[in-house]
Parts: sequence; structure tokens; C-alpha cells
Amino acid sequence: MTISRLKRKATKGLLLLVLALTYVFLFLPLVHIGIAAFARNFTYPYPPLWTLETVANMFANNLYRTSLLNSFILGLGSAVIATVFSTIATFGLLRYAGRHVAKFVLLFMAPLFVAEVLLGISSSILGGFFLQIPGNLISAMLANSIHCFSFALLIMATQLYRYDWRLDEAAMVFGASPAQTFFEVTLPLIWPGLLSAFIISLILSFNNLEISFYLLGATPTLPSMAWGALRHGIKPELYALATVVNIVVFVILAVIFVLMKTGSVKFGYRPERESSIV
Amino acid sequence: MYISLEGISKRYAAVTAVDEVDIAIGKTEFVSLLGPSGSGKTTLLRIIAGLERPTTGRVLIDGVDVTDLPPHKRGIAMVFQEFLLFPHRTVRENLAFPLRMQQLSKEEIASRVAWAAGILSLEGLEDRYPNQLSGGQQQRVALGRGLVAHPKVLLLDEPLANLDRELRQEMEVEIRRYQMQLGIPFIYVTHNQEEAMSMSDRIAVVSKGRIEDFAERSEVYDHPKTAFIAQFVGRSSHFNGTVSAVSSEGASVDISGVKLHVSRNANLKAGQRVVVFVKNEKVQLEARTDTARANSIDCRIKDIILRGAYAEYILDAPALGAELVATRPRSETVFTAGQEVRAFWSGDAPDIFPADKAA
Repeated sequence: MTISRLKRKATKGLLLLVLALTYVFLFLPLVHIGIAAFARNFTYPYPPLWTLETVANMFANNLYRTSLLNSFILGLGSAVIATVFSTIATFGLLRYAGRHVAKFVLLFMAPLFVAEVLLGISSSILGGFFLQIPGNLISAMLANSIHCFSFALLIMATQLYRYDWRLDEAAMVFGASPAQTFFEVTLPLIWPGLLSAFIISLILSFNNLEISFYLLGATPTLPSMAWGALRHGIKPELYALATVVNIVVFVILAVIFVLMKTGSVKFGYRPERESSIV
Repeated sequence: MYISLEGISKRYAAVTAVDEVDIAIGKTEFVSLLGPSGSGKTTLLRIIAGLERPTTGRVLIDGVDVTDLPPHKRGIAMVFQEFLLFPHRTVRENLAFPLRMQQLSKEEIASRVAWAAGILSLEGLEDRYPNQLSGGQQQRVALGRGLVAHPKVLLLDEPLANLDRELRQEMEVEIRRYQMQLGIPFIYVTHNQEEAMSMSDRIAVVSKGRIEDFAERSEVYDHPKTAFIAQFVGRSSHFNGTVSAVSSEGASVDISGVKLHVSRNANLKAGQRVVVFVKNEKVQLEARTDTARANSIDCRIKDIILRGAYAEYILDAPALGAELVATRPRSETVFTAGQEVRAFWSGDAPDIFPADKAA
């Protein structure tokens, strides 16, 4: 009996250790950069000499501000394009594809299996060299929305799979046109899926370097600017940049989590009997 | 006629769901499409609604060919078996939905919603969401949503199938009353013959995508046109036999040695194999006597099932090598299980059909 109890304790301890190591592995780099961003001795900040100078420098630098704005525009544009098209594609798959659904899914998922660098290079060859379109935010937006589309489609499909399409029929027999049906019935019930697809696309293209790099031309975004800066040695402002972006993301996640826990924001309609982890 | 289906067929690749259906329905008629599941009755209803396109044929509503019109331009309303209330809308908003789509005035919408909530006893529930309602309440909202629309025709797809028996019988009476009040045709799809019988003016019996018969409800029940209807409508026992003689007064049928007389002869020929149906309530019982009686069979009561005012006697008839059932009012002589009795019926009671067409 004591042996079995010991065994149980050992197993539990081991599990906790693995868990802790996993989290350390995941978050140690972030924590390190986070500390370094606020330290005067940023190359080896142990113990850190606290300062806000680096962060202030970064915000004072015009290049960082432009890059941030460009990244945001790029992310937003790609997210809109990817969400609109993936919504249409999901509707098509779930409602009209029938027995051809597997073929279409394969086509729609194909961008996931192409290396992003290749996607970027091919897009730039087609757009820049062949069609003579100069690289700018728009071309980067279009190229980014290709792989964002696949991710968005995956998310939408899992969410919309549970949607009862007969509700659309109910709306139609009561006099709703296709557009009214979508805005009165479908959209209010599926918007959480749309929103998650949108957010994922936004984050993906906001952070993307491999695709954007070949299509941006001279337009700086955060990742391209950071990558360029690396060639001139690592500046402390990069630490600050990474940290600020991380903090913003974590704060957004925390706010969403708290809102959902307290129930002040409900993510769409959820049948009462069905419970969920969030 | 107010609504007509002309030569409607629906084929999916190799399957024919609806096969050359012609129906005409009057302005104030309550019509049921009665058939087993998979018979094509729901497809037929969805074709009228515009939710399915017929492969061939035309649909006319109020004289207008609507075959190519989408559902929202047909001026119809529908009550679904699964209710399909909009889960993100309150009872009030669900009821108001068809009215908003018709762009009626706020006052008109409010007064019609209040009317529907009133007649369907939904008062006080207007601000609830569908998932806060019981099944019966949800069903009433679904019905109300169809009624407030004042459609040209109300289509009902097994609306009572998900309700318990008591509630169902209550709703049957109500539904029929609203139909008379609104003066519009109701087309009611069901596999439940009791529902069809209790409400309809006329019943269309559907089997394998075809209309077996479309007639007054009493006609469908009392004079089934086909063996399928005889089996599907009402409860009956049936026997296979051979016609031994035909006369102007009917036919004699030989069922494993037992001679029966059937006063309807249905163009039968001697020697033809036939199926004879006898409705349970037309089978009478008496104690065994020595006096001979036509159309009688000696039986033993195997079991008795009480159904309120009626008793169902399950009878074992060794001479027929079969079981038959007699449904008798309990005010009649009461027999007990195990008793030897004699079952008999009048000559015009059985329905007789050629065997090759039997289901």
C-alpha cells in the first residue's frame, strides 16, 4: 500500500516536472527578452538594471512607428480578404460540394503544404517580374491572404460544421431573401467562427516575414524591419519591440478570457445543454 | 383550384423520390399527405415550398406558376418538425420575423404578434429564448410563426411528431380551428394516420413517390383503393387466399380451406390469388354455438389489450393458421383470455385486392 502510494506520488511529481519544463521551454525566451527590454545591461540582464529608456527610444523612432502601422494595415487587409473568401468557401463546401468535398478541401488546404518562402518567391516572380507590378502593401496583402485563407477555412469549417442549415430554410420560407437570411439568421449565429478566423489571419499576416519580404518592395513592416535591423547588430529597441507586441497580445487574450469567464461577453449562441471548455 | 401540382417529379440520380404527381387543392381545404417515412411526402411539401426544385412539372399557387420562384417570393409559411425557431431571437422576435420580412408597420406587427401569443397561450413568454421553452411551447411558437404570416398556404411538416400523445390530440383540434379561422389551405405532412384522419378534409396517401389515392378522409378509410392503403390506413388483419367463385353478389374466397364471402368483387376472376383485409373494428365476437354463420371463424382469445373505451382481442385462428385482431367497445360482452369464441363479420366488411399488387 505504501509502495503504491509512493508510486502515485512519483508519477504525479514526474508529470508536474514535465509540465513545468514544457512551460519553461515555451516561455523562457519571452521572459528573457521581456527582462532585457527593461534593463540597461540588456546583453546579460542578470541582475537587471531597470530602465524605460529602450522602450522610450523605440517609440520615439519614426521607423518603428511606420513599421507598426504598415504591419497593422497588412494584417487587417489580409484578414479581411482571407475571412471573406474562406467564409464563401466554407459555405460552398458544407452546402454544395456534396461528394466532391474531399477534392475541394485538398485544393483549399494546398497553401499549407507550400513553404512560405516559396509562396513569397513565386508571388513576387509572378507579380513583380512577369506582370511588372511593383511590390507594395497591396501585393503583400494578397500574397499573405493565400495561406491565411487556408487557416481561416480550417477554423470556419470546424465552427460551421455544427450550424443547422435548415434555419436558413426556415428564414427563406418566411419571406427572407438570401441576403436577409444571411444577415438576420446565419451571421448572428456564426460570427464567433468568423471572428476567430479573422483574428488568426490578422496575427499570421501581421507577423509574417517570409511571404511579405518578397512583395513589400521598400515598405517596412515590423518583421521586415526587425530582420533588416539584425544585419546591423542587435539593437535593444528590438527587445523592446518584441516585448511590447507580446504584452499587447497577452493583454488582449487576458481581457477576452476574463470577459468570457464572467459571462459579460457570450461568443455567439450556444445551446444550453451543450457545455464548452470556455 | 387554388394550388395545383402538375406532373411533378423529383429524381436524384437513380432514385425517384416523387413520381408524376398531380394534385389540386381548394382555397379552404385541409389536406394531409399521409405516407410512411421515405415515401416522398416531405419532398413533395418542400417542392411546394420552393426548397427543392422539381425535375419535371409545375407548381401553381393562386393561379401563378411559382415553379421558378425562390421560397421567399411564394408567400408561403411552414411549420417544421424540428420547429427550427431562431435560437438567437426571443419568442416575440421569432413571431415577428415573417411580418418584418413583409415590411408591415410596427403597429400591425405588434397586434398580430399579440394575437398569436394570445390564441396559442404564449403570453408572458414573449421575451424568452427558444431554449428556455418546453417542447410544447416551442411547437406553439413554430405554429404561431406560420399563422401570423397570413400566408397563401401553410405547409406543415409533421409538426406534432415531437410531442407526446395528449398534447398532440389537443393541438390537432387547435390546428384545425386556426385553418378554418384563416380560411387558407393547410397542407399537412404526416405518417400518423390518426392525425390525418382527425384534421383533414381530404387525404392524399403517398407511397414510393406516387399518390395512391387522393380522396375524402372517410372514403380513404372506408373504401381503400389499393392494398397499400388498406394496410396503411386503419388497423386490420389480412389473409392470402384464392377466389373460388364469382357472382353478381360478390366473390367467394378460399383461405386455407375456410370459405369466406366478400360482397365486393373488384373485378375478380375465379382462381385468382387475392389478399383480404378486415378492419379490426369490423370483426365481431360471440360465444361458440352450433348455429352456422357465414364469414365466421372459430378462435381462441390469446390476449386482451385494453385501450380505454375499447378492448383489442388478439385471436388465434387455427383454421386460418393466422392471428387476427378484433377491436370491440368495452360496453359489449366482455370475453376473457383463453376463451374459445367465434369471430365473424358482415359480407361487406372485407376489402379485397389481387395478390400481385399487395404490399
